[in-house]
Amino acid sequence: MKYLIENCGCCGACVAVCSNKLLELNENEIIIREGCDNCGRCEIVCPLGAIIMEDSNEV
Amino acid sequence: MKYDVVVVGGRIGGSISSLFASKNDVDVLMIEKRQEIGSPVQCAEGTTFSTFETLEMKPSKKYICTEIMGAQVHAPDGSSFRVKEGMTDGNILNNKTISEGYVLDRRVFDKYLAIESAKAGTDLMVKTTVKDLIRKEGKVCGVVVKHLGETIEIKADVVIAADGIESNLAYKSGLNSLKNPDDICSCAQYELVGLDIDPNLLEFYFGRSVAPGGYSWIFPKGDGIANVGVGVRNSTETAYYYLKKFVSKFNATPVELNIGGVPLSGPMDKTYNDGFLVVGDAAGQVDPITGGGIHITASCARTAGEVAAEAVKVENVSSMFLRRYDELWRDEFEDDLKISFKLRKSFDKLSDSDMNALAEFFGNNNLEKISKLSTLKFLSKHPNLLKLLKGLL
Repeated sequence: MKYLIENCGCCGACVAVCSNKLLELNENEIIIREGCDNCGRCEIVCPLGAIIMEDSNEV
Repeated sequence: MKYDVVVVGGRIGGSISSLFASKNDVDVLMIEKRQEIGSPVQCAEGTTFSTFETLEMKPSKKYICTEIMGAQVHAPDGSSFRVKEGMTDGNILNNKTISEGYVLDRRVFDKYLAIESAKAGTDLMVKTTVKDLIRKEGKVCGVVVKHLGETIEIKADVVIAADGIESNLAYKSGLNSLKNPDDICSCAQYELVGLDIDPNLLEFYFGRSVAPGGYSWIFPKGDGIANVGVGVRNSTETAYYYLKKFVSKFNATPVELNIGGVPLSGPMDKTYNDGFLVVGDAAGQVDPITGGGIHITASCARTAGEVAAEAVKVENVSSMFLRRYDELWRDEFEDDLKISFKLRKSFDKLSDSDMNALAEFFGNNNLEKISKLSTLKFLSKHPNLLKLLKGLL
């Protein structure tokens, strides 16, 4: 996954859906721990498109 | 450092939990990760009068932007109907006013609640992030926090997680808090200035091209200002994309952009554990149809604070005792939330033409006096809607 911090509004929607619980919301950014399997759940719920799956056609 | 109750999160759920715990004479600490309580706003800011009844507070002009007397619902084809209009004597916040609800200034309201909580005895830590729970023999007994680079252990008899949709604490306590993306409404909202709108009317817009899986809204805040937002689910485009599209028809200027995710899954199966309670968005205490959660959260948070204080006093913070919180809030809200969830699942199946037909039906009938005959006539013309409604009955 690619995290575009400049697009991130730090709403935490991605944290709620991460099935591996690898995401954590700090005050001003999402912390991403190792182990992402690119399931894409976080990309679906991001209101500002701050998360993009690296194998996505849009990249 | 040791407290009887530690509340994580300083928004409505956190402030109300801590307020009612403090009112019940226990030592309470509330922790907020941001440096300012109430900011950023992640909400359309509408609520009902019953929120203030729950809080035993008189609504105040300090944090109420406008009084809401009804709503206009717009179908995909542009037709619309009016829902429930209240009565007012024209004097906002007068005791005699019969109001349907309010649009709040959450930035002010959330801070007001935090101040009330502090006045009741709650200690506050801001710009402090909870990194982990302290657990002993499986029981939650405190939190590990980070404040300006310093790691601090804070012991507590009860930890209340009111840390929003992004909560990881419920999961860390051993509860299943994972949300399905299908059940998250992805939202983007502008505060727009310069709108020509009814200041006492909420407006909702439905349709696949407006807000797939959700709706768009206009929540007036007075003086031509309103929260104008969009919530979408399972969309290939972002909520922000639909927001820009929606607001392009207004000649108005944005002064603020708010975003957020709203859990529409209904509540978690279990909202307590040994030494641990979870409230608000973190617990899924949100109406799955409207996405509204202020009133439900206010009530559940009050219960959480009171039960936590009682648990401390009787020196029993086991899950057996704290289960009382779960039972109490479910008694009040669970049936309605279950119906709402079923309704939402049915609404998910509606096409734009189904919504147009429903809007026409509601527009042609007095909503409080819809007869069985007119309903049957309508459904006989729309058998697909009958199938959907059957699932609800």
